[in-house]
Amino acid sequence: MKWATLLGPAALVAAAGLVGSLFERSTEIYFINSLVALCVVVGLYVFVGNSGVLSFGHVSFVAVGAWTAGVLTIPAEEKSALLPSLFPWLAERESGNVVSLLAAAGVGAAFAAVVGLPLMRLSGLAAGIATFAVLEITHNVLRYYEKIGPGTTAFSSVPETTGLVQATIGGLVAVVVAYAYQRSRFGRQLRATRDDPAAARAVGISVYRQRLWAFALSGAVAGFAGGLYVHLLPLTTEEVYLNLTFITLAMLVIGGLTSLWGAVVGALAVGGLDSFLAEAENGVGAFGRTLDLPAGSRIVVVGALMALVLIVRPSGLTGGRELRLWRTG
Amino acid sequence: MILGAITWQALADGLGLGAIYALMAVGIGLVFGVLRLVNFAYGQLIMAGAFALAVAAERGWPRWAGIALCFGVVLTLSFAMERLVFRPLRAHSPAVMLVATFAVAFLLQSIALLWFGPLGKIASSLAELNQPVTIGDVDVRKITIVSIVAAVACLVSLLLLLGRTSIGLHMRAAAMDFQTARMIGVDANRVIGAAVLVSGLLAGVVAVMLTVQTPLVTPDFALRDTIVVLAGVVLGGMNRLLTATLGGFAIGFVSGVLGGALPTDQSQYLPSFLFVAVILVLLVRPGGLFARGRDAAVQRV
Amino acid sequence: MPEPALELRDLSVRYGAVEAVRGLSLVAERGEVVGLIGPNGAGKSSTLHAIMGVVRAAGGEILVNGASVRGRRPEAVARRGIALVPEGRRIFADLTVEENLRLGLAGRASREGVDDDLTWIYSLFPVVQEFRKRTAGALSGGQQQQLAIARALVARPDVLLLDEPSLGLAPTIVDAVFEALAAIRERGVTALLVEQRAQRTVAFADRTYLIANGELRLTLTPEQADDTSTMVAAYLS
Repeated sequence: MKWATLLGPAALVAAAGLVGSLFERSTEIYFINSLVALCVVVGLYVFVGNSGVLSFGHVSFVAVGAWTAGVLTIPAEEKSALLPSLFPWLAERESGNVVSLLAAAGVGAAFAAVVGLPLMRLSGLAAGIATFAVLEITHNVLRYYEKIGPGTTAFSSVPETTGLVQATIGGLVAVVVAYAYQRSRFGRQLRATRDDPAAARAVGISVYRQRLWAFALSGAVAGFAGGLYVHLLPLTTEEVYLNLTFITLAMLVIGGLTSLWGAVVGALAVGGLDSFLAEAENGVGAFGRTLDLPAGSRIVVVGALMALVLIVRPSGLTGGRELRLWRTG
Repeated sequence: MILGAITWQALADGLGLGAIYALMAVGIGLVFGVLRLVNFAYGQLIMAGAFALAVAAERGWPRWAGIALCFGVVLTLSFAMERLVFRPLRAHSPAVMLVATFAVAFLLQSIALLWFGPLGKIASSLAELNQPVTIGDVDVRKITIVSIVAAVACLVSLLLLLGRTSIGLHMRAAAMDFQTARMIGVDANRVIGAAVLVSGLLAGVVAVMLTVQTPLVTPDFALRDTIVVLAGVVLGGMNRLLTATLGGFAIGFVSGVLGGALPTDQSQYLPSFLFVAVILVLLVRPGGLFARGRDAAVQRV
Repeated sequence: MPEPALELRDLSVRYGAVEAVRGLSLVAERGEVVGLIGPNGAGKSSTLHAIMGVVRAAGGEILVNGASVRGRRPEAVARRGIALVPEGRRIFADLTVEENLRLGLAGRASREGVDDDLTWIYSLFPVVQEFRKRTAGALSGGQQQQLAIARALVARPDVLLLDEPSLGLAPTIVDAVFEALAAIRERGVTALLVEQRAQRTVAFADRTYLIANGELRLTLTPEQADDTSTMVAAYLS
């Protein structure tokens, strides 16, 4: 039984949550951020890792999920003031935390399914460009369409329910979903198309249909992550656009594109590094010296690291393999 | 309704922007043809050149020195990119190369943010080109005329290079079938180096012209333009330099014309329409809108 | 005794876990035409690709005029005096015939004598001269094959590698190709001819190597051209 494949990532997520609880809020926030980013990365991995097809557009599912959860949970009486142009059927509704997260996942999945219907026929460069186009379209629409969200202003009055507990549970949920998928027949069939497309087709696997399933599922996880995000920060369209796309992609690449363990390791390692560097930008004591980095250096370091990993070890820190314990099978 | 609003002014603006975008399309298309790699970081090369101009202006350097610095910086960065990023990744899948250039783009942008801060600098070297010139009863900015003339000069030079010189012939052959070209004796590194050189020179030219129109140089300088040009290249047809250039020109022209013609609340969703068009082209006519029958259907998987 | 123009010693070529060529040794002396025949998938093309540097040799040696070219990039091998006429011709369809020929100059060591060589090449393949300005894609299969050989000859190679030049061609065109090969041999160019047409190759070449399953099975001389039973047995072994 490949339990290590699930236990490893899950244990790491739980450990991150536990360690985070030892700190006070100002540091704890980094852990929360990393855990929510982890959900995005796991969502990305579910599609990219299993299909071998690149997607630059997953953050659009995060955005859509965030918008759904955000709009649903703003208290009704404030909605009319904050979001005057909202569709009436959205303005009247007010939902609880868990419902909003489920709705975020649902809308993320639905959006991904709709987008995937035409796009899953593409591969390689075309898929990369097409998914980038989806990101641009989503960003453009969410920015100006004030009937479904705050448009150019930030979300406010969204209940801040994503603390360490919610983020950790969210991370665990994402990991379990990803694991369940990759162990299922669907996941294995999709990986077959990644490793040997001709052989997979010969056995009757529909590349298109398997990719579409994975795309929709990854949209659900990404949307769910968006729900977590909007309950953490007052989001704007810029926060769910190019920067997030880059950093989550960097996390997955550095960790290892083709394994769940890679996704989790990458997210937490880069998240940890990013947090450390953020502290260093404020002046931090480490290894007996003080480190005081100029603002903005952290993304340079992450970017350089990502480029370095791609050049020197494209399979990532984990080599793209799952965690294996020596004794078990 | 729209046609009524298109003035000679708008047409001139369209031609000027189309000219600049055409040059950017060539810069991207040349490297793509030879390396099969979309250089997402092309906009950052232009940004670097623009910052060089700004720094030179700030220090009161003479104009020619600023322009020389601009080209120096852009070419150095281009070759560094080729040597450090493109070459090691040549053997890998197009997907990895795509992610790599995306990473480089981000890296360069964040370095610029770190170095120059988000507020940016002013590059005011050729500001007088913003002055209008009156032709008939139309006011055309000098920079528009200069852009068109410069673009035409560059394109004609490029045509001569590709058509009449042996390195040009090698580049064309490499873009068609690199492996066979190498087997005949075409030097891969020389061809790639030539493509990177020309691409870099064009980026320098674009940097100079864009800073006239937009003197404020920020770390995301030319980012928007690059994304639009990429869309244009895909729409026109990535696989051939001619169709890619036409695509770049067309999208620049349309953007320039509509930029003045459409009222703001209608033009807000223009990017969405543009990118929907990109997706449609990728699905239905992946060779591009301007490709001839045989080229239009490109192998997808 | 001068070095052989081309020598393979114990060559092995591997694609991942699959060994396409194993322990192949052959020699082509200056001015010889040496044949390489065998069934599909025997490793003939892989051998040529390994010589050209397109695929890495996993083991053994590749010597041109005594000097090793193993591990060199394709363009460097081309400039060492080896020219390949690839399987399927692989001419540049969107370039003119003349441009295709000019490309061949890339593999040439020096520009001296280009005009003389061209005159000879045009005499071998008049159609190439006649259609100089035409787009190469407009030529027929046989004409493209002639162009592919002409392009290789423009590089003034010491060794000419031909990968199934008669593939897909009508019998009269095949005759024309072999006639040209005879003229090339007379000129002193060494050639390694990979072919499916076993009998014709064995009859024409100075010596023919038969490989199957990546290994050398048999060496044949022109006298053995009609010995089909031996050949078939070797093919099937």
